[in-house]
Amino acid sequence: MQSFLTKRAISSGVSLLLLIVAVFFLSRLTGDPTDLYLPVDASAEARENFRELHGLNDPLIVQFGHYVADLVRLDFGESIRRARPALEVVIEAFVWTFQLAVITMAIVSAAAVSLGALAAFHVGGAFDRIATFFSLIGASAPDFWIAIVAIVVFAVGFGWVPTSGTGTVWHWILPIGVLFIRPFGLILQVVRGSMISALGSAYVKTARAKGVTPKKTIFVHALRNAMLPVITVIGDQAAALLNGAVIVETIFGFPGVGKLMIDSILQRDFSVVLAAIMVTALAIFLMNILIDLAYAALDPRIRY
Amino acid sequence: MNYRNVLLGGVAALCLYGPAMAADTDVTIVLNEELETVEPCMSSQSNIGRVLLQNISETMTELNPEDGSLMPRLADSWEDRGNGTWRFHLHEGVTFSDGSTLDAADIKHSIERTLSPDLTCEIGAKYFGGMTITPTVVDDLTIDVTSDPAQPILPLLMSTMTIVPAETPMEFTRSPVGTGPYAMTAWNPGQNIILDRRDDYWGDQPAVTKATYLFRSDDAVRAAMVATGEADISPLINQIDATNADTDFAYPNSETTYLRLDSSIAPLDDIRVRQALNMAVDREAFLGTLVPEDAQIATHMTVPTTLGADQDLSVPAYDPEGAKALLEEAKADGVAVDTEILLLGRLGNFPNVTEVMEALHGMFTDAGFNVKLQMVEVAEWVKYYSKPYAAQPVPSMVQAMHDNNRGDPVFSMYFKYACEGLQSGICDPDLDKAIADATATAGDGRGPAWAKAFEIAHDLSADVFLFHMVGFSRVSERLDFIPSIATNSELQLSQIKFN
Repeated sequence: MQSFLTKRAISSGVSLLLLIVAVFFLSRLTGDPTDLYLPVDASAEARENFRELHGLNDPLIVQFGHYVADLVRLDFGESIRRARPALEVVIEAFVWTFQLAVITMAIVSAAAVSLGALAAFHVGGAFDRIATFFSLIGASAPDFWIAIVAIVVFAVGFGWVPTSGTGTVWHWILPIGVLFIRPFGLILQVVRGSMISALGSAYVKTARAKGVTPKKTIFVHALRNAMLPVITVIGDQAAALLNGAVIVETIFGFPGVGKLMIDSILQRDFSVVLAAIMVTALAIFLMNILIDLAYAALDPRIRY
Repeated sequence: MNYRNVLLGGVAALCLYGPAMAADTDVTIVLNEELETVEPCMSSQSNIGRVLLQNISETMTELNPEDGSLMPRLADSWEDRGNGTWRFHLHEGVTFSDGSTLDAADIKHSIERTLSPDLTCEIGAKYFGGMTITPTVVDDLTIDVTSDPAQPILPLLMSTMTIVPAETPMEFTRSPVGTGPYAMTAWNPGQNIILDRRDDYWGDQPAVTKATYLFRSDDAVRAAMVATGEADISPLINQIDATNADTDFAYPNSETTYLRLDSSIAPLDDIRVRQALNMAVDREAFLGTLVPEDAQIATHMTVPTTLGADQDLSVPAYDPEGAKALLEEAKADGVAVDTEILLLGRLGNFPNVTEVMEALHGMFTDAGFNVKLQMVEVAEWVKYYSKPYAAQPVPSMVQAMHDNNRGDPVFSMYFKYACEGLQSGICDPDLDKAIADATATAGDGRGPAWAKAFEIAHDLSADVFLFHMVGFSRVSERLDFIPSIATNSELQLSQIKFN
């Protein structure tokens, strides 16, 4: 196990390093932050001061050297726009995204796995048809449309929940509800397919022949074996959420890392972009480790 | 404990976790983007200004947006001492929200801090470029401010300079302290900013006791928040959401849209070509269609209430045949009128900007121009708009929107029309002289001096003016507040009353 973790850490570290180099130089290609930070009427002198103050006059390779040297000391630099440590800005936003992703994926996983398993048990039945119909709609409906419609109907129309924001528990309902729909549809379909295959296998037929109850047959014997591909998809969807649900965050005014990243890219706030990429990459690396461990827990044949 | 009790307990807890009830005199304001900083010297940025300006941070003088006059704020009076020096007499008994008393040393520090190269404050970069400002303390309540070169409008410039205590460090602050009627009591990044009314404010007590600022990027969400009562004011909503006559207001937002012509490159160096471009645009057709019907056709770089704005100036009537005739005349004289002209638009600059640019492209093409339309992001756009141009020199018409709500053309004319102006597309000695003369003129002669500069720019057909734009706000019916031209840069809570 320790050797597995070490190998994964090394390979992820190398990927992260290459990512930093690529993002550092590619982001600089977008141009000089001075153009966006200072008003268009700013004098040449003010622009020069700004560049000097933020080290933008140095050759790119020197800037990279400074960045790496600071990084070794876990200094991610300062946000030009916010005049605050970039890491502090990113962590603040990432905490929101993390909560949103964890809660959403927990609800999605529980709902999609149980409903997908039930749909597979009576393939072609009414429940299967209804579940398939709605999950396909969910998997294909655009987030921004669902979000706006949800606000118009549930916040403006019925007044049941606030339109947006983060103040109370009620504020979480619409963002989670909107984020729920697409991964729910997708995962439900994967669970259904995987379960149909598992339910047709010899060991399930044996269990049925031995008089095992349908509930136990589905949730104990078949589901455990059907979960391996499902976990892969859950991990994939969770990674997408950890990267930030930009549209949902923007529409609902949710201060997550996705919107922060997009804003920072548009504003050429390079330190924040790099810090955000590193934090989310680290989170995804840790999540992948957890998924690998989940494989091992579900399938005794998998050992690290 | 049974399941029913647990369930009921959970529901009760959820309900209790709701927002605390707001007082009748609290207001919630929803802005279109989150504040990245609450530094007073950045208050020239619209949303920072809407939170800080005259609420937390006050200025020595204040511009009256209705008539362009200058009003006292922290300074009771001021006088021109000659040689570029103005003396300001401060109001006695003014205190900061940290309890300290305002004196001339605070003004001196505020000026030096705002203009310090170590901070690159936007107020310094935007309003004080190309001049040296030296503050000299005379006594506790008197300060001399000297500008080099002399600035006849120095008192007006001081209406942009936010005042902080002398103890404020030379770095961006996250806890702004000011002399205004409100103090910032909470800043929860990503969520809200809260201002509470100060009981010890030196002036009249405003009606609003507490203001909560929220941030939502989506136009429809901001409009919906006022409709549902989650917010009381949204200073900026989309035209298509402004559907309720009782709550939605159009107001002149001090922005002027225009096409900046680069007259240094053929064929735009020929005045007939520039005149033809102006005649090719059917401005009336835009109003009420792609541009709000409350917008005004622009004849100047600044809004009509600006000093020296000449009401008699006009733009040519829509006349595509006349434009063709002018082009033929120029062509006969050897002007390369068939040369491709780049029509550059800035994405997201104002609502429907892409459609407006497409329509303009069609009008220019119909009039016989060879125009290529390109819509770009701001980073690409600035390469064509601001000197030194990073883009390759090509004949271009750059769509831009200019904001001058300070009442004086000096904030516009040099940048847009002087030979050395950063965004100037024209270089004319007479215009340069007129701008320099108007800039140096004080008193009653200043308005006519600027009128002359406007007239020369007009006669040169230096630009294709489009519209003085309007913004739309949604205001809750429980408030007595009508947005004005100032709403584009500030939102004084003391001006809000309750119905």
